[in-house]
Amino acid sequence: MSSHSLSPDSLTETSHYQTMDDRRDESIASDGSIRPEWSELFKSVERHGIEGVARWQETAARISRERGLAYRPATLDESASQGWSIDPIPWIVSAERWSVFESGITQRLRLSEALLADIYGEQKLFKNNLVPMSIVLKHRGFLRTLHNAPPGNGIVGLGLCAFDLARDSKGRTFIVNDRFDRPSGLGLALENRTIVNKVLPNLFRRCGVRRIGSFFADWFERLAQYSNNTDSDPLVVILDDSSQHEDSEISFLANYCGVTRVHPSDITVRDGRVWIKALRGLVPVDVIWKSTPGCGLDALESEIRPCFGIPGIFEAIREGNVAVASHPGSEVIQSAALYPFLPKLCREFLGEDLLLPPVQTWWCGEKAGLSHVTANIDKMVVKSAGNPHLFGTHYGRLLSDAEKTALIGQIRDNPGDFVGQEELEISSIPASRPHGLTPRSAVLRTFSFLGADGTASVMPGGLARVSRVDGMIITTRETGDSKDVWVRSKKEEAPYDISSVLSISGFRAPDIVSSRTGENLYWSGRYAERTSLAVRFASRLIDCRIRGISGVKGFEAEHEKILVDSLFKIFDCPILSPDMTPDARLMSIFKDPNCPAGITFGLERFNYATQSAREEWSPVSVQAISACYDQWIQSINQVDSFFELEPALDELQLNLSAFLGQNLDSMTRDSGWALLDAGRRIERGSNICGLLKTLVTSNLSGEMDTIFNESILYFLDSVRTYQSNFYEKPKTELTTLLLLGENDYPKSITHVLERLYGLLKKLPTPENRPHPRDRIPLISAKLIEFVVELYQWKKHDSFDSKVTAEFLDELIEFFNRLSDILTTSYFSHAEISE
Amino acid sequence: MSELTYRIKHRTSYEYSGRIDLCHSLLHLRPCEKKGQNVVEHKIHISPSPGFQSVRKDYFGNTTQYFSIQQSHGRLEVTSFVTVTKQEVTPEIPDSRITLDNEAQLSEMANGFESGIPLLNFLEPSCACPNIEQLDTFLKPTIISKHEIIEIAHDLMSRIFTDFTYLPGATQVSTPLIDVLAKKHGVCQDFAHVMIAALRRIGIPARYVSGYLETVPPPGQEKLQGADATHAWVEAYTPKTGWVGFDPTNDQIPGHQHIKICHGRDYFDVQPLRGVFLGAGSQKLLVEVDVERV
Repeated sequence: MSSHSLSPDSLTETSHYQTMDDRRDESIASDGSIRPEWSELFKSVERHGIEGVARWQETAARISRERGLAYRPATLDESASQGWSIDPIPWIVSAERWSVFESGITQRLRLSEALLADIYGEQKLFKNNLVPMSIVLKHRGFLRTLHNAPPGNGIVGLGLCAFDLARDSKGRTFIVNDRFDRPSGLGLALENRTIVNKVLPNLFRRCGVRRIGSFFADWFERLAQYSNNTDSDPLVVILDDSSQHEDSEISFLANYCGVTRVHPSDITVRDGRVWIKALRGLVPVDVIWKSTPGCGLDALESEIRPCFGIPGIFEAIREGNVAVASHPGSEVIQSAALYPFLPKLCREFLGEDLLLPPVQTWWCGEKAGLSHVTANIDKMVVKSAGNPHLFGTHYGRLLSDAEKTALIGQIRDNPGDFVGQEELEISSIPASRPHGLTPRSAVLRTFSFLGADGTASVMPGGLARVSRVDGMIITTRETGDSKDVWVRSKKEEAPYDISSVLSISGFRAPDIVSSRTGENLYWSGRYAERTSLAVRFASRLIDCRIRGISGVKGFEAEHEKILVDSLFKIFDCPILSPDMTPDARLMSIFKDPNCPAGITFGLERFNYATQSAREEWSPVSVQAISACYDQWIQSINQVDSFFELEPALDELQLNLSAFLGQNLDSMTRDSGWALLDAGRRIERGSNICGLLKTLVTSNLSGEMDTIFNESILYFLDSVRTYQSNFYEKPKTELTTLLLLGENDYPKSITHVLERLYGLLKKLPTPENRPHPRDRIPLISAKLIEFVVELYQWKKHDSFDSKVTAEFLDELIEFFNRLSDILTTSYFSHAEISE
Repeated sequence: MSELTYRIKHRTSYEYSGRIDLCHSLLHLRPCEKKGQNVVEHKIHISPSPGFQSVRKDYFGNTTQYFSIQQSHGRLEVTSFVTVTKQEVTPEIPDSRITLDNEAQLSEMANGFESGIPLLNFLEPSCACPNIEQLDTFLKPTIISKHEIIEIAHDLMSRIFTDFTYLPGATQVSTPLIDVLAKKHGVCQDFAHVMIAALRRIGIPARYVSGYLETVPPPGQEKLQGADATHAWVEAYTPKTGWVGFDPTNDQIPGHQHIKICHGRDYFDVQPLRGVFLGAGSQKLLVEVDVERV
């Protein structure tokens, strides 16, 4: 490569980029010449013009859309709502500059590791008065409970770390932020590289950009090394608690690297070790790369309440049965209040001078710091010293006088809780805008980790973030554009294929269907079925209200009351108040989200379960799911009278059928599908028996009995089948016979049981207990016996409703029990009581 | 001075309405060894039997035990059997020789260590003992009339005893300090928290002590089994005296009738039984404590 032998004319100012007068620029020197590492880029811009740059932007946007990665700052840091977008113009760093960054990062990494080990171990920093104790003791990330578990002896110290670099007007480099607990952005950096490489392949080649693939391979190899399991290949997982309803950069990383991604609820601690709950049983986990906050990792030991972490996991860490990277207590060394002490700490712990200074910081817990910050509030960026989630970043110069006074008051009340930082004049880099290139302040997030032998690996590249509005300082919470970072190489590097390395390093990427997914599929099936019944129920009742019931005058009200009562009983609804009007009772079936027999109740749970298992559905199913829920909620919010809801009911029925039919068509017939369909069948079986029991114990006669039978048949969509089977008016004996004994009819218990047997066969045999399918033959045999009896009764025109009701109870109990067994065998993995 | 032997049975049971598939627990039940207190025997019985358990020292030096119950269960029972000997003592009030206006000594104390732990832990606010200005009204009469630190602590103890009403059931562990201060009633935990927060606010390190109290039955009546509960009191620190105990619930300097289990910043550091249960349904808690002199 001869990137530095530029022709003289290329060193002149570029016509497409005007730097800011008062601000240092990374691409243009103060004399207006283009810095050598940027020359190829500007040549390319000159050649393609503004239209070319616009095309690059469009292409980048298109590719990122196609790849389906949603850019959300939530993945980059804690909060904020708008997304990040990608700017294809990279931040280019020369090899020389990079080596300065690299040595500074390496040193900070070693210092941070020493600091972490000391805080959880010897506490030299207190005993030698290196740091005021309250900075550590008051930080929410200082976990007293892990005091007996310092890094070392099988306990991981720092895992992946992020340092944010910024350069000021004088060209000095500062570390403005550090992240140890769960640094974000690695997935975005990888994604940016992939996209920019596609947008600017030739420029990428001409610039001799260093490859980042090997960094990922090294990091994953490092993760595997953390394992204390020497017997077999370690199982490494990424722990991610980002909402199940959205994609995250973690899922992107997991896919790229072929590593299992788990949610806290997929994990359980037993026998002092960590397991994934999977349909095939409990799978032991050796290494966890966590992207969840360490202070809330263990619900048993956390000081944060409420806490939804994994109870018992700290005990597993102490036992050395699982390696968690980073150390859950590493957030404490992120405290900006430590910055003023870093030069001293560096000399003490490493015997070296600090190479890359942190941004100048004053801790208000010291008198000098407090008076400096309050006196210079206009120039300060005020942050929390110990609880960044409670107090964001405040820029003194953006505050009104009243706000400033209030902030100073707040600082004076609890000075130790605050730091003030100098606001840097951060240097700019070219950012692409519709009208061409424009200078924007930028911060560079770097990624690094320490190897087993203490040597550092720094990713040659990173994630640059630029402010969207000119002059605004970039904070991690603010939205902006992200950019790829190109570190120029002195020699050509070959592209890196990560998959080859991952297979060498013995990474196990097991095919695990998590219990959580299985459980959500199961309940998707159950609630789809239940909602479907509730919809038919509501349709029938409205129909009776509108069109009346022929034959028996005045029976409408009683008919409705019996049916609503029985439905509420089947689903264990709270006892209805006797003063409730019939309209209110009926309305609760439509609207009440707390009525277990209601449509809204069923749909909300259906929606939750399906959303939680969203990776299982085809795009068409996803549409059907959102149509079910969204349209229904919209309808009930618009309509006051349930009579107007008839069309919404029909639509919902159709959408539910579309969802179920679509799955029939597109899902692989694996254990997940088996659970979805088993959920439907168990719900259906239990509902049929419940409805039949209402029927046989209703003690109605004559026309009323006929109408009641018709209603039950209608709920199960069985009117036509009844007619074609029996050619007579509906009566209880025959309805019972149809719904219990008809072999080839999907709405009969005989068929439900047969189907369940086939479905459960697809599930693995649980450990230490019988296979759930083995429960079916016995009840099936009883059913056959009972159906023979029914035929006898039919022949002799006698029907024993008491015996029938008893048998129905037995069936209901069977379905409930089967559901419990599936739960304990595949979802909760409870051990059997002694 | 003679030696007294106490036998303690402390049973905690949870009755669940549904089945619990998995339960993780952390116990703080082993009485500490200290001057005048010697643990002769300590056994913990857990039912159903845990699939895993381990014992360690926590940050504050207390013995803590972790266990997990991994089989489906509807009831959990933890019983701690303790035999301790105590030296019979007549409690004395020591003199710290530090007054509240001695800023140099107070700040030296704030930067000091005790048993390897920074005393600052017991000066900074904690979850149940926040630093709130409502404490000032309560503190005022004491700091006007008293100056020496132990004297101040003693006065605060007596004033909690006189001004606050012991009212079981009126508060819960989650009742915030500000409510206890306003309503002036509660139980031993609340009184301990009030006193700790007040001491810390004026710069005196204070910690929460969990333990048992031998209750003496009214004259002529037999002592009821299981009538006792766990108790809580306070320890305040000065360099000269070390930790000095104060029991605001009884306006007493803890003596041989106070059997200490452990200490922390507040109740949440030393909960006798803390648990996370995985399963559906509600729970019913029952605690019984027998303290018997043998």
